[in-house]
Amino acid sequence: MKKILALSILAAVSFSLSAQERGYLTGSFESNDHFYVADEGNKFTPDDDRFGSNNYLKLDYYNGNFSAGLQLESYMPAIIGYPDDLNKYALSNMYVNWKDEDFQITAGTFYDQFGSGLLFRSWEDRLLGLNNAVMGARFAYNWDDKIAFKALWGTPRLGMEFSDTQVRGADLSVSLANIIGLDDIVLSVEGSVLNRYSRISIDAEEAGGKPNTYGWSGRLNFDYDGFFVKGEYVDLGKKLVALTPKRGNAQLVEMGYNGRGLGVTLTGRRLEWMGQKISTNSLSSANLISYVPAMSTQYTYMLTTLHPYNPQVGDESTFSFNSGEIGGQLDAFYNFRRGTSLGGKRGMKVHANFSTYYTLAQEGTAQAGNLLFRDFSFDLEKQWTKEFKMVILYSMQEYNPTYGNYKTTWLSNIFVADLLYKWTPRFSTRLELQYLTTHEDKKDWMAALLEVNFAPHWSVWASDMYNHGMTKVHYYNAGVSYTKGRTRLAAGYGRYKDGFICSGGVCRQIPQYTGANFSITTSF
Amino acid sequence: MRTFLLSIALFISAVCAAQVPSVTVENVKGESFDTKALLKEGTPMIVSFWSTSCKPCIRELDAIYDALPDWLEEADFRVVAVSTDDSRLLAKAKSFAEGRGWGEDYTLLFDKNQDFMRAMNVSVVPHVFVLDGKGKIVYSHTSYVPGNELELFEAIKKCSK
Repeated sequence: MKKILALSILAAVSFSLSAQERGYLTGSFESNDHFYVADEGNKFTPDDDRFGSNNYLKLDYYNGNFSAGLQLESYMPAIIGYPDDLNKYALSNMYVNWKDEDFQITAGTFYDQFGSGLLFRSWEDRLLGLNNAVMGARFAYNWDDKIAFKALWGTPRLGMEFSDTQVRGADLSVSLANIIGLDDIVLSVEGSVLNRYSRISIDAEEAGGKPNTYGWSGRLNFDYDGFFVKGEYVDLGKKLVALTPKRGNAQLVEMGYNGRGLGVTLTGRRLEWMGQKISTNSLSSANLISYVPAMSTQYTYMLTTLHPYNPQVGDESTFSFNSGEIGGQLDAFYNFRRGTSLGGKRGMKVHANFSTYYTLAQEGTAQAGNLLFRDFSFDLEKQWTKEFKMVILYSMQEYNPTYGNYKTTWLSNIFVADLLYKWTPRFSTRLELQYLTTHEDKKDWMAALLEVNFAPHWSVWASDMYNHGMTKVHYYNAGVSYTKGRTRLAAGYGRYKDGFICSGGVCRQIPQYTGANFSITTSF
Repeated sequence: MRTFLLSIALFISAVCAAQVPSVTVENVKGESFDTKALLKEGTPMIVSFWSTSCKPCIRELDAIYDALPDWLEEADFRVVAVSTDDSRLLAKAKSFAEGRGWGEDYTLLFDKNQDFMRAMNVSVVPHVFVLDGKGKIVYSHTSYVPGNELELFEAIKKCSK
C-alpha cells in the first residue's frame, strides 16, 4: 500500500510539475534531543543509552487544486515518557489531495474529525507522542454553503504502524439558515455515523463482543447576534468493558454570548463508557479514536499544572473503573476598554473560570457521585505603563487523588504574579512568582522564573520550583534560545518532576528525569 | 537516501515561493471559511497562529493590537488571527478573543483540527506570516519576545511600497 501510494505521489507531482504552473514546496523539520544525567536528588538513574531523540521532517507540495506530501519520523530512541511503541523510523504520512471550491478527495494519510471529535478524531500532537492519522481515502463535497458531506475509510496509525482496525464513517451538515435564506442566523443540523471493525478474541466473542461496532452522533448549532448554542449527542454503540457489554454515550452542550468586550461560555458534558480505542491490546496513551478532553482551564504556570485534570472517560484501562463523569465549566472574559474608569489609559482584561466534575453515581443516569475535580480561577491583566505589564492569577484547585473511588479530595490555593518590563523596545525582562499552599499531598510549594529577552533573536531563562513543605527538592531549569525567522534553536538543562504533560486536554504520564535538552524547529 | 535528498533539493529549486493554500476553517460564527478567500481583498496581511494556552502568542497579538492604530496610519493591511485551539477550547477561544477586543480589529479564524496550521507547516505557535497583496509569504517568524512585532511592521511597510 505504502509503495503504491509513494509511486502515485511521485507520478502525480511529476505530472503536476510538467504543467505550466510549477507550484510550490513547503516543509518543516523538528528535532527534540535529550541527554540524561544521573541525579540522586531527583531519584533518577538513566538507562545505559543516555540519549533520547524525536525527529520529524514534513514536506508538502501545492500546485493549484492539487497537493501531495509526506512525513518522516525517527525516534533514536524516543525521549523519556513517550509511548513505548514509538521507535526507530518510518515514513509515517503520505498523501495526495485534490480540492476545489466544492470537492475534496484525499488518498493516503489524513486527519479529520466529526463534530467535537467525541465520536471520531484523527490528529497529531507531538508533545503527547500522538499521531492517529488514518491511512485510506476521504471524499468531501460542499453544496453552496448549504450542505457539507464527507465520507472516509481507513486504518488508524498506532505506534509506527497502521493498525489492523478499520474505521469507516460519514458526516453530514445541513445549514437550515442558508437554505431558508436567513443571513444573520447560523442554524445547522449535523450528524455522523462511524463503523469500527477490529478482530476480537474468542473470550470476547463468547462474552457477547462483536468485531463491528456502530456509532453515531447528532448535533445542532445556533448563533445569532453573539448568542450561541451547540448541542451534541454521541452513541458509540455496544462494546465490551472488562468482558461486559456497555453502550458508550456522551452529551455535550455549549452556550454563551460574545459581544461588546464580553465573552461568556457555559459548557456541560456527561460521559459514559466513552473510551474508544484503536486496539484493545495496546496500553499506549496514543491508542485513541474518540477525542474526550478535559473541559477545564489548561494552565501554563508551573504550580498550576501539578495536578491537571484527567477526565474519567469510562474505560477499563484508566486508573479506576468509573463508568464516566458529569460536570461543566463557566468561563467569563471581559475587556475594560481604554478610557473607562476601571480600564484607565490602557485598558484592563479580566477572566474567571469555574469547573466542576463528578463521577456518575449510577450507570445510565445523570446523577453526580463523588467529586473528581473542581477549580475556581480568576486572572487580571493590566498594562500599567507603556513599559510595565502585570498579570495576577488565583486558582483554587480541588482534586480527587483516587480518581473518584473514594470521597477524599485535596485542596490547594495557588497564587501567580507575572511581571513584564520593557526596558527598551527590544530589551525586556519577565518575572514569574508563584506560591501554592495546601494541607495535603506534599504541602507547600514556591516557584520563580526569570526570562531576559533580547528581540528579535535571543531569550535566556532560569527557573526553580521548590517544595519547601515536605520534600525540600528543587526542580531547577535554565536555558537559552535563538530565533531567526522561522528557525528556533533552544538548549537547556534541568531537573523535571514526574507528573503529566497535557496538551489539548489529553495528558500523558511522564517519569521524573534530569538532563540537558536541545531542540530545533524550522520551516520553509 | 542520498538520491532521495538530492531529489528534494532539485525539487525545491524548481518550485515557486510559498503561498496560502486552500483549507477549510471556521469563522467566528462557526461557518465554513476557505482560506483562499483571504486573498480576495488584495491587501497585505499579518497572519498569526495562536492558541489560548500559548502566552507568547497572546502577548504578540496584544502588542500588534496596541500598535495597530499607529501602524495603519502608515500602511494599509489586515491582521488575521488563526486560533489553533481544538474543539475542547474552541468556544473558549471565541470568548477569549472577544474579551481582548480582537474581534473589532482582527479577522478571526478557527482551525480546530489544525488543517491550516499543517498546510502552512507551522510546528509550534506562535508563528506569524506576513503576506503581500498577492498572498505570497514575504516574512515569517516563530516564537515571540517583546519587540518582535517591530519586524512585522517593517515587512508590512516593504509590501506596501
